[in-house]
Amino acid sequence: MKKIKKYLPYLVLAILFIWHSVLYAQQQRFPRPEFEGGYTFPTHQFLNQRGPMWEYMDVAVLIGALLITAWIALVKRSRQGIIWVSLFSLAYFGFYRQGCICAIGSVQNMSLALFNGSYAIPLSALLFFTIPLIFALLFGRVFCAGVCPLGAIQELTGFRQVKMPRSVEKVLAVIPFVYLGLAVLFAATESQFLICRYDPFVGIFRIDAPYTMVIFGSLLLVVGIFVNRPYCRYLCPYGVLQNIFSRFSLKHVTISPAECRKCRLCEPGCPYDAILQSDHEPGSGTLEKPLKGSLRYFIMIPVLAAGFAVILFNFAPALSGVNVNVKLAREIRAEKDEGISAVSKAAVAFFESGKTEDALFQEEQQIIGRFRKGAPWVGVFLGLSLGIGFFRITLRKIRTDYEPDRGRCYSCARCFKFCPVKIKK
Amino acid sequence: MKFSEKNIGIFKGISLASGVFTLVIALTMLLSLIQLKTMDPVNTPSLQAVKEQFDRDPDNRDKAEQVRAIDLMARKAYFSSRWQVEAGSYLLLAGAIVFVFFQRLVAGSEKPPRTLRPDKPDIVTEKVSNRRYLVISAGAVTLLAIISSFVLRKELPAPGRSAAGTKIAESSVPVNDVNLPDEVNFPFFRGEGSRGTAGGTGYPAEWNGTEGTNIRWKTPVPKSGKSSPVIWGDKLFLTGAEDGDCEIYCINKKTGESIWTGSASGFPGASAEVPESDAEAGMAVPTAAVSEKEVCAIFGNGNLVCYDHDGKLKWGKNVGVPQSVYGYSASLVIYDKLLLVQYDSQDKISLSGFELGSGELKWETIRSGRPVNSSPVLAAFDGQPQLLVNGNPNVSAFDPLTGKELWSLPGVSGDVAPSLAVNSKLVFAAQDYYSVVALKPGKAGATVWSDNTFTPDASSPVANDKFLFIATGSGDVACYDTEKGDTLWSHYFEEPFYASPIIADDRVYLLDRAGVMHVVKASGGFQLVAQSPLGERTDCTPAFSEKSIFIRTKSNLYCISNN
Repeated sequence: MKKIKKYLPYLVLAILFIWHSVLYAQQQRFPRPEFEGGYTFPTHQFLNQRGPMWEYMDVAVLIGALLITAWIALVKRSRQGIIWVSLFSLAYFGFYRQGCICAIGSVQNMSLALFNGSYAIPLSALLFFTIPLIFALLFGRVFCAGVCPLGAIQELTGFRQVKMPRSVEKVLAVIPFVYLGLAVLFAATESQFLICRYDPFVGIFRIDAPYTMVIFGSLLLVVGIFVNRPYCRYLCPYGVLQNIFSRFSLKHVTISPAECRKCRLCEPGCPYDAILQSDHEPGSGTLEKPLKGSLRYFIMIPVLAAGFAVILFNFAPALSGVNVNVKLAREIRAEKDEGISAVSKAAVAFFESGKTEDALFQEEQQIIGRFRKGAPWVGVFLGLSLGIGFFRITLRKIRTDYEPDRGRCYSCARCFKFCPVKIKK
Repeated sequence: MKFSEKNIGIFKGISLASGVFTLVIALTMLLSLIQLKTMDPVNTPSLQAVKEQFDRDPDNRDKAEQVRAIDLMARKAYFSSRWQVEAGSYLLLAGAIVFVFFQRLVAGSEKPPRTLRPDKPDIVTEKVSNRRYLVISAGAVTLLAIISSFVLRKELPAPGRSAAGTKIAESSVPVNDVNLPDEVNFPFFRGEGSRGTAGGTGYPAEWNGTEGTNIRWKTPVPKSGKSSPVIWGDKLFLTGAEDGDCEIYCINKKTGESIWTGSASGFPGASAEVPESDAEAGMAVPTAAVSEKEVCAIFGNGNLVCYDHDGKLKWGKNVGVPQSVYGYSASLVIYDKLLLVQYDSQDKISLSGFELGSGELKWETIRSGRPVNSSPVLAAFDGQPQLLVNGNPNVSAFDPLTGKELWSLPGVSGDVAPSLAVNSKLVFAAQDYYSVVALKPGKAGATVWSDNTFTPDASSPVANDKFLFIATGSGDVACYDTEKGDTLWSHYFEEPFYASPIIADDRVYLLDRAGVMHVVKASGGFQLVAQSPLGERTDCTPAFSEKSIFIRTKSNLYCISNN
């Protein structure tokens, strides 16, 4: 019975996938348009907007799931419980809500709202952004543990553990910071919602995603079996915020339910390399040696911030190419330089719209100007993140126990079973 | 749930097969996507070929059916590919699910690894290495910041201009840098570079020749001509010819008094011939060219003379008597130390460069095409000074120092009389009963746009970076968007225009044949500033210098300035 319980969540997961495939097959029953048979296009039908009650429902489900996950991870210390919550979140936020609304994407809504006074952020987006961060401040990354549908699908499919070399892990861990910075910049400049556009699992949650994203999502899922949670570790921009907030969490899961015996048995227990080793060897004294002059290195942090700010400022015009209007203006200018007029579909459509080139070129300059303003701040963020990341280690104190890295631990409860210390209930 | 070794083996096999299947599907889908991106079902070569056959024979019903059949086939192929990709995406997902599921079963039957990390760094080593990383990354980022600032400096906003407020610099006058228009000197036909723009500001807009309003002085011109005045410093030069006598006049710009008169006849090698041509034109149609020390003039009989500013003949020669139905009319241009002569005759069309000091022929280039009545224009594109000719049928550019042809593009045809208009990016050719053509100059140049709504007769068009102005032989004036070719406005002034319009002080000065100057704003909307009659008919292009406008009529020269 216990073994059946173990595999039951995966059976439910398989049913969810099959259910989706059935929906797709139903779509295929309808004949495709025929061009020889006088086919007339059906009139557009617009779905009714979801009522506000359902939005509140989403928020309520989010809070409920976060509370349950925190209780399971911190109090019950149950890996099986985390799996069940993950399955629920995957079913509700993933397959039912089709990945939208999503805390990860809400970063862009927040950015747009902060830098564009005319954009009114939906209350649900605001709450989806803030509530998981509040929970991170209270209990660590419980949102990542079992509430985020993207995290859940990877958690449920990460069976094997291929540990990445530490150096590779550290280099790849920089990507989410860059991704977050660019996503905020692009959203704040009203250029595009990068995170939503390149959500790898939306192709699985919906049945109308771009094929490239279906391919990306499927391959990521396969890779995730071995290199667990690849999106969370090497891409997720919201994970960066969770990482930062979780470092200051009031309560956090511990590897050992009581005193750590420094037995090292938990060392292989975390596929995400989020276990910080103790600096004390059993039976030995402290390893701490005084290391003076650390504050000298503090000056490197503003140097990094300023350096990145200058680099991003210089690259702002290149980055602004993601904006469709900037892209169109450059396309039209290139066409003119080549002595040809309106070859691309976008250029033809633009000229047919009756808008003037002058207006377009002026808008292009305004957008580049916005990128010039915003890009250095992204640089400052990257510089500070990198600088503080290195500097804080130079100041760190002796660790007496094996403990989870509060920033990188997903509170997934995988390590619990590796700890020999048990508390009788 | 415990599985036997045999079952585990089967699971591994299924997992491996589904993994390979997933990868194959993923690769196939990627290839299909690339194919879909490059496929254009309605423009396949076979369909286009059959369509062209049908266009040649539109009554052929079989051909029409063939077009429909191929079109249908191409569309079906396209949508089949799309369907395959759609179906493929779910096969891919299914493959991934099977792989994940069986991997789970296999993993569930294996014991988790319990290997310890062999590399446990001590805290001091960790701190020291992080200090090193911090310094290295700070150095690398600083270096990258400096390099990117140098490499991308073209992209940086100009000093003193806020990044957000960066705007494209737009000028109301052409940014064509072969000698920018001068406030004092107006050295050639249509001014500096023969481009139709005048330097300086404060030019009058209102006057009345009959009542004397704003007429500073008026002086009779001894011999008639259609040539325009040119100016250097305080001296104004003009040509005239009657009964085979060709003369050049030097006049005090401030007072209108004659300083000297030079003859273009009677020097050794001069021609006394009066070629047959349009009686109205006469022999003094080409406008003289003046530089700091010399003034040169050419006449309908091919007599070419060069005087110094004191009236001393430096040299004179005959370049051949041009045979032209409407009379020889190409005005002179000076570049560097060379006098540039466009020669158009029934028997020869050429461009020549004569040394200004000695009259020695430095180069001659025989042009192709048919003779025209336009005048050469000096401009620069991509930093290369170019002598541009509105030829028939091509617009051509030549190196003014060597005469080497730089590029040639199809332009206009017919009895080509208007000279070219230029701005910083484009060249505009026009011809009555033909069209207005905007060309991107250069070897890789091409026609940007063309239009045949408003075309000039004898008057040359003029352009700035935004607008092209055309004064027609029927009395219409039109303003075109230089880049798109849209007609921004047009206005009918009743009297025809032969004189070429000049852009000065952000206004366009348009002189009609009745002698009325129509002054409009050089803008994309029609704004009439003033209409000022001279009281005499004229076909000569006015000259502009130091807040004064100089207009030649049939028998007088006027200086107009605000009192």
